[in-house]
Amino acid sequence: MSPSAAIRTHGIRRSYAARKGFLFNEIVRTDALKGVDLEVNSGEIFGLLGPNGAGKTTLTKILSTLLLPTEGHAEVLGLDVVKDAPRLRPRIGLVLGGERGLYNRVSARENLRYFADLYGVPTAERAGRITEVLDRVGLTESADRRVEEFSRGMKQKLHIARGILHRPELLFLDEPTIGLDPKSARETRKLVRSLVADGVTIFLTTHYMFEAEELCQRIAVLTRGRIVANDTVQGLSRLVGGDRTLEVEGYGFDDAEVEVLRRLPGVSRLKYEEFGPRIRYTLRVRTSELTPPTVQASLPGHRELAIRERRTSLEDIYLDLVEEEAA
Amino acid sequence: MAARSYSRLRSLGASLRLAVLSFLADPQWLIPSMIAPVIFGLVSYMLFQGTSPTLVLYAILGAGMMSMWGQTLYGSGWATGQDRNLGTLEPTLSAPTPYLYVVLGRVIWNTVSGLLGGAIVFAVVGIAYGRPLPLANPLEFVLLFIFVILSLAAVGIVFSAAYVYTRYAGFIQNIGEFAFYVGTGCMFPIVLLPFWSNPVSLLFPPTWALDALRILAIPGYHGLAWGFWGDLIGAVATTVAYLAIAGTVFSRVEKHVLEVGNLSDW
Ligand SMILES: Nc1ncnc2c1ncn2[C@@H]1O[C@H](COP(=O)(O)OP(=O)(O)O)[C@@H](O)[C@H]1O
Ligand SMILES: [Mg+2]
Repeated sequence: MSPSAAIRTHGIRRSYAARKGFLFNEIVRTDALKGVDLEVNSGEIFGLLGPNGAGKTTLTKILSTLLLPTEGHAEVLGLDVVKDAPRLRPRIGLVLGGERGLYNRVSARENLRYFADLYGVPTAERAGRITEVLDRVGLTESADRRVEEFSRGMKQKLHIARGILHRPELLFLDEPTIGLDPKSARETRKLVRSLVADGVTIFLTTHYMFEAEELCQRIAVLTRGRIVANDTVQGLSRLVGGDRTLEVEGYGFDDAEVEVLRRLPGVSRLKYEEFGPRIRYTLRVRTSELTPPTVQASLPGHRELAIRERRTSLEDIYLDLVEEEAA
Repeated sequence: MAARSYSRLRSLGASLRLAVLSFLADPQWLIPSMIAPVIFGLVSYMLFQGTSPTLVLYAILGAGMMSMWGQTLYGSGWATGQDRNLGTLEPTLSAPTPYLYVVLGRVIWNTVSGLLGGAIVFAVVGIAYGRPLPLANPLEFVLLFIFVILSLAAVGIVFSAAYVYTRYAGFIQNIGEFAFYVGTGCMFPIVLLPFWSNPVSLLFPPTWALDALRILAIPGYHGLAWGFWGDLIGAVATTVAYLAIAGTVFSRVEKHVLEVGNLSDW
């Protein structure tokens, strides 16, 4: 293990057995993680990116001692997540976020005080620390209001405040911006960035590539329990290569026309999207010959087409990775 | 290990504080914990009014206590179920302190509020009666009463482990509750139950403690064969046994939930 690795996993597998059916006698197994090897460096923001159900929360919980792996092992801050859990817990913070997970009937300050005691924050420092983290996440004004009056964004801030209250060396953030309005999401991302400035290592999961790209030094793409890419943002950008992206929008494409698009020279991928009655085909193109006019010329019968070229983004690469795995 | 005991004690204190604050934050809880005993006291007074004071006492010690003691016995289990519903079970279990100390803190609060409920019933019936109820041995009675509550709390701790174990605990408890009241003699003395059920009843500390309480309070009451002191020894022994196994049960349950991964179910 390299000295600066904050997290290292070896062949982590996890399956769930859920009981279903009348009398719960039917057991349904889900393999949520199918052998995950990862390394996260100290002091970085590491992004685990993947669609819903990929296994992000499962991995986060295993690394933060809330779930045991079915197979494999993981070290966090040099400690085994299973055997050394009691020693590891005070050194890490976990933010699962969401509407739930807080004591709604008492104030934000009381919630923090409770967890400060559970985490053994020294009594002499307790009040000061609570004030400090409340200020940090921007909840000072609402500190003494009951949590049940909080908006989704305020609850998320409180979750983060609780996560950093005991000054963990490593913070796990599971989809910190999910369900937030754009403004709160932006504030949350800003807060996350400010945390690394203090030397905290961050393990963040998200299903938005732009978020991972904006925040993280390194990104691993997880889909259906497997890591399909693991690189720096620049490394992932290289996967874009010289690819160009053309979008063709219109109404009512017939099968023959779709086939024409697919067979255009240099088209490596074709993605279909619907916007009400409007349909968009996104073409990934490997040559420079294909341009909006040549695409238009190939579909002479189709008048109301809007064709434009746009920058190929990491989001496109991400969708490729996730779809390839699915196929 | 002083530091460790200190941090456990702090968790216990924090959980007690949170229990009280949550209670105060929502006055609707006044109804079951404070007003119900008042109503119960009045109802039993009206039912047994005109009969002998002993019978009134018997009635209070019997079925009526169930409502208050439910507070103590199930309060901690209920609070753990609440942790599941709120989604606070995960952050609480991911903290360094064992969950048992959080439960203990709540048990203390539930014990206090159970006692308060008991005191209210006695006061209400006493007021309705126009004079205090004729207790044979008032001091011993109060001490033993406190002990009965503690013995219920000891069972309550083990019950609350069931709520950590599965989200179906509430469902199981609802079925088990009535059987428990009958089995431990809360409703009527277990000597009235079929003989085969007695050994099962004796597994629960409240069975012993309640029998002792009745012997103490009700002149002419015939309880279990071994008499008052036998009851008391049995009650202490079973309570200690419950407290001793609670630690083990909790660490097992905490491991189990991490294996199954059902902490976020609700
Ligand atoms: N407690 C559980 N019991 C059964 N299946 C589960 C449980 N938790 C997650 N899963 C399943 O495991 C897979 C991965 O889930 P999760 O880790 O929550 O993914 P993500 O966080 O990336 O959305 C999903 O198929 C999900 O349905
Ligand atoms: Mg998730």
